[in-house]
Amino acid sequence: MTMNKKQFLDQLNSLLKGISLEERKEILKDYEDHFTFGIGAGESEETIATSLGTPRQISKEILTMYHLDKAEDSSTLGNVMRAVWAAFGLGFFNLVVVLGPILAIAFVALAVWVVGIGFIVSPLLVLISSLFYTGTFEWFEFLVSVALSGVGILMTIGMYFATQALAKGFVRYLKFNVKLVKGVTKNEKY
Amino acid sequence: MNIQFKKGALELCVLVLLDKKDYYGYELVRKVSDQIEISEGTIYPLLRRLSKEMYVTTYLQESSEGPSRKYYKLTDEGRTNLKEMLEEWKEFTQAVNYLIDDQEGDDHE
Repeated sequence: MTMNKKQFLDQLNSLLKGISLEERKEILKDYEDHFTFGIGAGESEETIATSLGTPRQISKEILTMYHLDKAEDSSTLGNVMRAVWAAFGLGFFNLVVVLGPILAIAFVALAVWVVGIGFIVSPLLVLISSLFYTGTFEWFEFLVSVALSGVGILMTIGMYFATQALAKGFVRYLKFNVKLVKGVTKNEKY
Repeated sequence: MNIQFKKGALELCVLVLLDKKDYYGYELVRKVSDQIEISEGTIYPLLRRLSKEMYVTTYLQESSEGPSRKYYKLTDEGRTNLKEMLEEWKEFTQAVNYLIDDQEGDDHE
C-alpha cells in the first residue's frame, strides 16, 4: 500500500502515542523534513514514503528503544513489562531461548517473597489460631513466630534489593539484544 | 543480504560518513541508500540513539530554500567509538574472508 506524506505522518504519529508529546514532535519533525527535502529534490510523496519503509516497522524500533531507556531509568514492573513486550514485537528469538531460565528465576524470587511475607505475619497467625482454638496459646510457638517474623523482615528487605538488581540486569540484557540486532556490538569479541 | 547484518553495518556506515563531514538527515540518508538498499526510515531512530549515546550532536542551519537543516556532527566520543568499531569490523571481515578463501582452496583440490 503506498501512502502520501500526510497518511505516513498521521499513521506514525498514532503508532507513537505512548511517547511524550515533546519527543514525538521531534521524531515526526525528522520525517516531515525528510519529505520536504525529498519533494524539493523532485521525488513524489509516494516514492519517499515507500523508501522510508512502513510506519509500523519504524514505530517498533523507536518504541523498543524508548521503553528500554525508560525501564533502565526506573525499573518498575510496568516499565519492564512494556520493554519486554516491545522487544518481543521486534522479534528477538533468543529471548524465547532464555525465557525458561528467566521465568525460573522470577518464580524463585516470587517464592522467596511469599515466604518472607509469610514469616513476617506468622505471629499474627499464631494469635489468630489461638483465638479460634481458645486455650491452645503456646508461648513457645509465639516466640518462634516472632523470631521468624524478624527473619522474614530481613528476607523481604534483601529481596527488595535483589529484585531491583534482577530487573536492572534483565533490562540491560534486552538492550544488549537490541544493539545486537540494530548495531555492531561494541564489547563482544566473536 | 541478510537484514540483521545490514543493520549492524548501518551504524558503522553512518559513523564513517560523519567522520568526514557533517551531514543533514536527508543528505545522509541519500548517501547511504545510494550504496546500500535499506528502509531509509530506520536511519532516523539510529541517529537519535547515537545522539542519546553522545556519539553525535546536532545543530540547525538555515538554508536559502526549504526548512532549516538539522546537521549531525560526530563527537570525540563518537570518533573513539568509531575507531573501536572499525578495528572489530576489519578483524571480523578478515576472518570471514580467510575462511571463504580457505574453503575455495579446499574445493579446488
